[in-house]
Amino acid sequence: MSSLVKSRLIKFLLSLIIVSIAVLIIIFNLRDNIIYFYGPTELLKNSDKQGQIMRLGGLVSVDSFQNETDSVFYFSITDGKNEIDVKYEGILPNLFAEDKGVVVEGVYMNDGRFIANKVLAKHDENYMPPEVIETLKKSGKWQGE
Amino acid sequence: MSLYIFYISNSLLLLCLIASLMQSSKIINNKIFTRPGVIVLAYVQLISILLSFLILIYLFLISDFNFDLVYFNSHSEKPLIYKFSGVWGNHEGSMLLWILILVLFNFLFALSRRISERFKEITVAIQSIMIFGFVAFLFFLSNPFALNQNNFFDGIGLNPILQDPLLAIHPPVLYVGYVGFSLVFSLAIAGLITKEVDQRWASIVKPWVFSAWAFLTAGIALGSFWAYYELGWGGYWFWDPVENASLMPWIAATALIHCVLILQKRNVMQSWTIILAILTFSLSLVGTFLVRSGILNSVHTFASDPGRGLFILLFIFLILVFSFSLFAYNSEKINKINSMGLVSRGTGIQVNNWLLITILTIVFLGTMYPLATDLLLNKSLTVGPKYYSTTIAPIIILFLFFMFISPRLGWTDTKLYKIIIQLRYLIITSLTITLIISLYFELFNLTEILIIFFSLLLVISSMTASINFNKQNILVRTNLGQNLAHAGFGILMMAVVSNAVYSEERIYNAKVGDNLQLQKYIFSFDKIEQVEESNYNSLKAYFLMKKDGKLIDIFTPEIRFYSNPPTITSEASILHKFFSDIYLVMNVPQDQQSISVRMHIKPFMTILWLGTLMIIMGGIISASIRIGRFDEK
Repeated sequence: MSSLVKSRLIKFLLSLIIVSIAVLIIIFNLRDNIIYFYGPTELLKNSDKQGQIMRLGGLVSVDSFQNETDSVFYFSITDGKNEIDVKYEGILPNLFAEDKGVVVEGVYMNDGRFIANKVLAKHDENYMPPEVIETLKKSGKWQGE
Repeated sequence: MSLYIFYISNSLLLLCLIASLMQSSKIINNKIFTRPGVIVLAYVQLISILLSFLILIYLFLISDFNFDLVYFNSHSEKPLIYKFSGVWGNHEGSMLLWILILVLFNFLFALSRRISERFKEITVAIQSIMIFGFVAFLFFLSNPFALNQNNFFDGIGLNPILQDPLLAIHPPVLYVGYVGFSLVFSLAIAGLITKEVDQRWASIVKPWVFSAWAFLTAGIALGSFWAYYELGWGGYWFWDPVENASLMPWIAATALIHCVLILQKRNVMQSWTIILAILTFSLSLVGTFLVRSGILNSVHTFASDPGRGLFILLFIFLILVFSFSLFAYNSEKINKINSMGLVSRGTGIQVNNWLLITILTIVFLGTMYPLATDLLLNKSLTVGPKYYSTTIAPIIILFLFFMFISPRLGWTDTKLYKIIIQLRYLIITSLTITLIISLYFELFNLTEILIIFFSLLLVISSMTASINFNKQNILVRTNLGQNLAHAGFGILMMAVVSNAVYSEERIYNAKVGDNLQLQKYIFSFDKIEQVEESNYNSLKAYFLMKKDGKLIDIFTPEIRFYSNPPTITSEASILHKFFSDIYLVMNVPQDQQSISVRMHIKPFMTILWLGTLMIIMGGIISASIRIGRFDEK
């Protein structure tokens, strides 16, 4: 084999190995880090998802907000059909309010309670997370266009 | 009055359309449009767009609410600078800015000398086809000069989160980067058509590709800096789809500038360079327009409009089909077989090219996967930030190693062990420092230690390489741009890792008079007051930061209440120190007695920005040094 062919062959094999290792790592990592989004009704249907990190979105139910201490809060998230109780410890974003759209991230517990570790902040008062709109459409409670 | 402006500005757009059409026709060697010449037409294109852009600025400044765009995006009580930056804080205005930069690059290139007339004609023609496409899109589908029939008394206003001096300059800088690659793309296509992708071609392309890259880097950095202090989450990078959309062309462009360098020096990798040029520009288009289209679900999606995304997707698709078929047809003719040694600088750069493409793939999959599942399976999901950090970190280690070793290798086959022996002191020094750091700061994660070690190697070796004496002990000209950028990247990586490891966060509910503790600092909550500004009211808290009883600084986090449009924002108060930032944000009180305060210690932020600045400076130096050296062989 001429040195040119040899060097090209080595380079080719080297890059092939790198690429296949990389693709494997990427796929495995991607699968481990996916966070699914559910509305309350969907989440109740998928009760086998307990214990996983996920996002839950909908409207904050009217009259459901309570604070135990200054930084431990309870509220329910609804899509008009079903409700899920949420417990959250931390700071609530500025625009958090009852009857407004909200997305929380956390774990769905065995007792049917959702323990949130993040309430996702949005900037605009009229902004409704697209997932929440989708959720409300699915439950038939969407009032907008 | 408004009606006149409506007619004038739209005629200007039409004028640019005609000039671009004539310019494009020069791609075929025809007799009809030999006159007017390339430069005259380039003047017409530039002046018509520049004037319409100035008219739009004027409309925003005088708040002419007869124009839809001004009505929806401005307000008479807005401070002057934000009326000005409001011009590109929306879809139509930012499109016009984008086109302005497109014609500007076209014009500058048309003026450049020492390039064969035919090659210049073809490049400008390709560029003008794009100008034509975008101006037509602007004119017919998103006209910034559309009038409304109502007499609105006042406008709706600009999203307050965009009312920030940094965001006034972030889009233009980012756009110069994105659009700069349009010229590189045109040059690549012209090279394919004339079948002249060689060392001469590389030296023509080099200043353009380096300056576009430097601007793109600066644009991303400005956006990241803005997110750091304005969004109030204490982070500077969130792996958000919009951020990823700007990172992807940057990664491709970084691979591209290195390929252009090898092409110029060794006349190899012609095809790969062309592919990267096409890829970079396509990703720039994705970066600009998918962000604007609203397809990406992101916290940064401002001024979005899903209906227009389709046009852009179609445009990207056409560009890809056209350029790759041309490539398939002509690629055999541009490739020349020139060998490089196996253990050589060229191979090192090639390996890093592959690593960059791998990182690009990671970011691409992470960004597109949620989109795909949403469209195909109707399932919403998010990819957590951990995916990116854990997947990219091991690749970065290899990448840093090759960045360190490649410049030390010759262009022909080099003996690796000789280089290692040559660099033994360097390696021992870095190893020692890394050991000290890891023991002192209790850093025992292998990936993190390795990144620190190779970054140190890279930083020290780049810095020493830039000071080079010849045998007569005279300082010789070295590749300052390269060394600066490489050292900057090493510094950036070290800062990123240490920042991720040592950041601290505390959350308190505080009443006036409370003393809050963060590490060795005490924060006394002094008072809270209401402040009225011209375009917002704010609630301002005062915290006295003390250490050992001595007052060090006063923090004033704010909550701002904007009325046009009604929005609430939290303004962080940040103390920048060389080794760490202290960062305070407060939120709307849940009850009247106390407010929520979040405190962060963010180590090495200043150093992180410094590293980024070095990368940008390196790019600018590399771009400007080479401008004077066009026909160097």
